[in-house]
Amino acid sequence: MSGEVLLQTVRAGIEFGGLRALHGFDLEIRRGDLKGLIGPNGAGKTTAFNLLTGVYVPTHGEIRVCGERVNGRQPHQINHLGVARTFQNIRLFRALTALDNVRVACLSDERPVFTRARIDELRRRSSGKSPVAEAMDALNNYVDWWRALLLTPGFQKEEAELTRRAEELLEVMGLSHRRDERARNLPYGEQRRLEIARALGTRPKVLLLDEPAAGMNTREKGDLMVLIRQLRDQFSLGLLVIEHDMKLVMGICEEITVLDHGVTIARGAPERVRQDPKVIEAYLGDSYLASHGLPVPPHAPTSETPVT
Amino acid sequence: MPAALRGLVPVLIAIAVLAVLQVLVGSSPFFVYLASIVGVNVVLAVSLNIVNGMTGQFSIGHAGFMAVGAYTAGKLSLLIKDLAISGLPGVVSDQVQFVGTLLAGGIAAAVCGFVVGLPSLRLRGDYLAIVTLGFGEIIRVIVQNLDLFGRALGLSGVPQTSSLFAVWFCVFLVTLVARRIVGSTHGRSLWAIREDEVAAEAMGVNTTGYKVRAFVISSFFAGVAGGLFAHFVPIINPGSFTFVKSIEVVVMVVAGGLGSTTGAIVAAVFLTLLPEALRTLFLQVGGLDTGASLAQKVDQIRMPVYGILLVILMLVRPQGLFGTREIWDLLPRWLPGTRRGLR
Repeated sequence: MSGEVLLQTVRAGIEFGGLRALHGFDLEIRRGDLKGLIGPNGAGKTTAFNLLTGVYVPTHGEIRVCGERVNGRQPHQINHLGVARTFQNIRLFRALTALDNVRVACLSDERPVFTRARIDELRRRSSGKSPVAEAMDALNNYVDWWRALLLTPGFQKEEAELTRRAEELLEVMGLSHRRDERARNLPYGEQRRLEIARALGTRPKVLLLDEPAAGMNTREKGDLMVLIRQLRDQFSLGLLVIEHDMKLVMGICEEITVLDHGVTIARGAPERVRQDPKVIEAYLGDSYLASHGLPVPPHAPTSETPVT
Repeated sequence: MPAALRGLVPVLIAIAVLAVLQVLVGSSPFFVYLASIVGVNVVLAVSLNIVNGMTGQFSIGHAGFMAVGAYTAGKLSLLIKDLAISGLPGVVSDQVQFVGTLLAGGIAAAVCGFVVGLPSLRLRGDYLAIVTLGFGEIIRVIVQNLDLFGRALGLSGVPQTSSLFAVWFCVFLVTLVARRIVGSTHGRSLWAIREDEVAAEAMGVNTTGYKVRAFVISSFFAGVAGGLFAHFVPIINPGSFTFVKSIEVVVMVVAGGLGSTTGAIVAAVFLTLLPEALRTLFLQVGGLDTGASLAQKVDQIRMPVYGILLVILMLVRPQGLFGTREIWDLLPRWLPGTRRGLR
């Protein structure tokens, strides 16, 4: 086991009406982890991401970021705690330049009146419901707007600092030459990389990548594999990757979780998952198993998750 | 130049330029009146552009906030017009009171904006349009039925303390605020919300908070515009703040290009002056000597012509005059001061 636990779900699940989109989902991401989440279409992978980032509120179970329960927190609050993501269908700010896309995410850590750490501490102690913390935050925002309107020296310095950070991230992702290009004019692969740069701008501890290689060619995929590992080491992140490209996901992930119909059907090292009959069945159907002489798993998957 | 003063330089320049203008043309009543009408519309358009353009929300009740500002400032001025601040000459005292009532009108409108915006901006989509539409009508009906505000007759006798300088200084202020917002973290967050709210939220932008703040700022300046309006028209009545007025402002913002501050300014000036210009044009074509009835008929055609021109603009440039860009983005690159726009 590597670093401290950054993101943890305990039997988390969500139902939409009668549909169990995700059920009894357990996951743990530690610093330095590189884990994969796979499954056929509609298995609930992106739903899991949406739960982890606060887009949906889980109907069951618990989600913890750095030990803190975050059920019901808003996505931007969860992001401030250190969880960032990319999107399956690229969601860049299309009319903004590459630099501005990253700068949006680079929120300044310096707050004019009360420090962010102090407000976070208050929030933590009251599990996110302290009126004092909200008032302090509101005052911070108020002063911050005036600083922007009056163009104070401190504000100018901060802007310069943000710009420098954003440029650094563009450099890391190899996008420096696209700095002033509008996001919608970038080629597909670069748009994916820009999304990662933007996510890094929020100074995440955990980074969730939703199909980062979709639409990339073989060479780009190869580069991406190297890049993902490099990001983990350089920013000491915990990473969770949803990916359909088996070569990529088997190549980089140390542990893979397989979802099917919202249920975790397998978990473990890539080689083990690859040979798991349940996984093969979920992807290829039981007739494939039968014709290849592999053991057919029992039907009607139980809600119990056979964690390996 | 010390960095601390950089923020103040444009203000000083604006004061100097406007003071000169005031001395040169401030005494011609028709010009001042027209310039004031134009100025108020520019303030309305630029402030609405902060919400409808930069943040991508759709508010169609700007006349309501203008009414709140106009009636608050107008009533306050009526109440304190017999008072004078001791130790100050009469004119200065009047002006101080004028500025005070403007601020009061702006703050009243901002409070309304907060109350209206907080519940409706939590939601996505068209709810804001519905709520602001309702708000505008409610305000109009309320003032129409309160003796305090003179019912349908409106308020008359508000001291005419406004001036060319005052109106256009407010134009300058709202423009400065809009531009400073665009150039800051806050402006980028607003643009991000306009582009993709889900992604903005996921990147740590408190979308509800930002939308409400943009809405409050916009409402504040609508209130100030109303306050200015109350101090140069002879009478303010509910008929000045109808739904049609709100739509007029929306049209200015859309015609100028959603998100373009200079576009909003140009469109507001152009669309305010266009009916006036058409009137003069038609009067010349029709000629007064062929009889007043023809001149009258020609005068009636100008509104349809205004409409047709708008339709043509939308057909030719659906993104508005400047799109999301500013006027200097369209200038040739070699001109001094031309730089790539922020976005």
